[in-house]
Amino acid sequence: MKARMLATHVALPVFAIAAMTAPSRAADFDWMKFKGKTVTFLANNNPVSQALLTYKADFEKLTGMTLKVDGYQEQQMRQRLVTVMNANSDEVDVFMTLPSREGEQFAAAGWYSDLTAMAKNEVAKDYDPNGLSQALLKAATFGGKLTSMPMNIEGPIFYYRTDIFKKCGLEAPKTIKEVEAAAEKIKTCDSTLTPFVSRGLKPAVAYTFSNMLHNIGGSYIANGKSNLCSTKGKEALDTYSRLLRDFGPPGVVNYSFQQISALYRSGRAAMAFESSNELRTVMEGGARLKDTGLLPFPAGDAGQVPTTIGWGMAVSSHSKQPDAAWYFVQWATSPEVQKKMALQGIAPPRPSVANDPEYRKWIDEEPVRKEWQAALDVLATKGSSEVGYPIVANPQSREFIGQAVQDLILKQKPIDQACADADKALDALIALN
Amino acid sequence: MSDTAATLTQDRQKLEMAALSAPAVIFTVAMIAFPVVYTIWLGFQTFSSTGKQSFAGLANYSKLVSDIEFWHGLWITIALFVLSLTLQLVFGIWLALVLFHARRLPGIVRSLFISPFMMPPVVAGMMWLVILDPSLGAANYILQSFGLPPSDWLASPSLVIPTVALIDSWQWTPYVALIVLGGLQSLPPSVYEAAQIDGASPFKTFQRITLPLLLPTIVTAAILRSVDLLRFFDIIYITTQGGPGNASNTLNIYGFRVGFEFFNIGYASALMLTLTAIVFGAVLAFNRLRSAVAW
Repeated sequence: MKARMLATHVALPVFAIAAMTAPSRAADFDWMKFKGKTVTFLANNNPVSQALLTYKADFEKLTGMTLKVDGYQEQQMRQRLVTVMNANSDEVDVFMTLPSREGEQFAAAGWYSDLTAMAKNEVAKDYDPNGLSQALLKAATFGGKLTSMPMNIEGPIFYYRTDIFKKCGLEAPKTIKEVEAAAEKIKTCDSTLTPFVSRGLKPAVAYTFSNMLHNIGGSYIANGKSNLCSTKGKEALDTYSRLLRDFGPPGVVNYSFQQISALYRSGRAAMAFESSNELRTVMEGGARLKDTGLLPFPAGDAGQVPTTIGWGMAVSSHSKQPDAAWYFVQWATSPEVQKKMALQGIAPPRPSVANDPEYRKWIDEEPVRKEWQAALDVLATKGSSEVGYPIVANPQSREFIGQAVQDLILKQKPIDQACADADKALDALIALN
Repeated sequence: MSDTAATLTQDRQKLEMAALSAPAVIFTVAMIAFPVVYTIWLGFQTFSSTGKQSFAGLANYSKLVSDIEFWHGLWITIALFVLSLTLQLVFGIWLALVLFHARRLPGIVRSLFISPFMMPPVVAGMMWLVILDPSLGAANYILQSFGLPPSDWLASPSLVIPTVALIDSWQWTPYVALIVLGGLQSLPPSVYEAAQIDGASPFKTFQRITLPLLLPTIVTAAILRSVDLLRFFDIIYITTQGGPGNASNTLNIYGFRVGFEFFNIGYASALMLTLTAIVFGAVLAFNRLRSAVAW
């Protein structure tokens, strides 16, 4: 079993990535090869795709292809994808995917085309597949098949108000305990402010809670069983829910990224733990530009194990033109396009882009951007892509994590019962894996 | 023309009529019957997390009986239905009476009264989500400026259903009012003249004449709203996604999540067919009531 797991989770991804280093047919590569074709892209209407699609006309000019964009909000995009894929339809050629969430599930359902061969044989000279984050490529590799190419790198980071911290005589927190202490002090120092805010909406909790759990030293699964009732699991549940219950805004159980960004941007929260992608939204209007500090989430007993994920571009296994679809994926994840996207605030999944002089100049323009990039560097080097349970039913597992956290925020159950109920439901999910 | 020739002509006419109406019949069957039959078939299938499908017989329905979330969803659906329908009928009748008697009300004011139901529910949901935000919303600001304590509104497990019912009633009460107003305008004036001659007070007139005569119209409005309320989805999905916890997890929201988030299309189909049966049951019950109160 162990050997099989090693082969599946370690050796095959390494082979897949290594295969991309083999000599390619770059010299024969012709962007106009599929001129006249139409590629349909199912996009999540988020800042990543918005930045990418600014350059849609460039792609069409370069390839002579037409790009048809089918854009929805995240949940509606998945709903559309489930319908299309269950019908074995070729309506969608390329779709956006979160490997950390649905990767196992979609791979097991056979919805992804294997990109390994295309990334080896059909690449332009300057594509440089090895320049993409190896961690993200690995996270997108299932059963030895490369299922998507990373579009960005992101994760939850810690936003805090430097002016409030100064006023209350606080230093930037280095540990989770210092976050709690800072929240306590801010509560008395300025009672008009919300000391701490993060995600409380049930399906959204896992994204930020996973970082807390890993920093504290907990794990989702131990010996094949759900592990939320372990000492570390309970500590993480208790700390996360207590921070939101005692120091969060009223109604935090309905908070996801939109509400958190709005509250912080309006100047009514002193600390926010939210996605790095929200930088642009948080800085809109410029009110928070000079008084915000950014950090990876402060350390727990296990140090800093930030959550690091990225949106990927996958080619549908039902696409009738996977090669043309790959051209779009390749263009969208090329160094040139990712540099353009980076200049719009989309963190690049390519270290080479992160070191590009033009990008560095943009970063150096504002101290907050420097701190943002520094936090992303930590995410890139130390990050874990485990958001929720690493099982096929990952999306459903997030429900039970969120339920346990909400039970505690709303004081509907004592911690032993909340974690035991979650573990029972999650064990049933793990058994289905 | 002989009898045989006449029969032949009639048969031919029947055939022609059948041929001409066939496309419409086929289209109707395809558009209505096929999705229903397909959903019934899906209800007998089971889908693994990876989408693998197999025949499950009645397993989805037996699972449903022992599923706590199903019974909870049913309870939430019924609670929301009863609360919203009561609010909408009471305030709808009141608004209709106001509009009926205030004949000099400018057209723009009348239009404003009935405008909420023209708003897409998603827009209404987003608007109320912002207004009711406990930290940034206008609702708590107004409460606090009158010295009242702020409320958690949609974030409170005990308040979420009344709050959602209020949002839905804000949107759909004018629709009920419009139906009732139509009914009021069609009532025979002679009955009111007779009541006036007999010296009936306005309240007695409303209680003994208007309300009984309006009952068939009110039941019609109740039927139309019942169908929507039992399938309640959009505003909850926008505002709470079934939360906090599962406090607003109606059957429709639960079925949607089982199907499109957890990919268990078979069980979701069983849930939705059960909900459809409940909706049909409610409509049949109201139809019987309408026959009983018809005049």
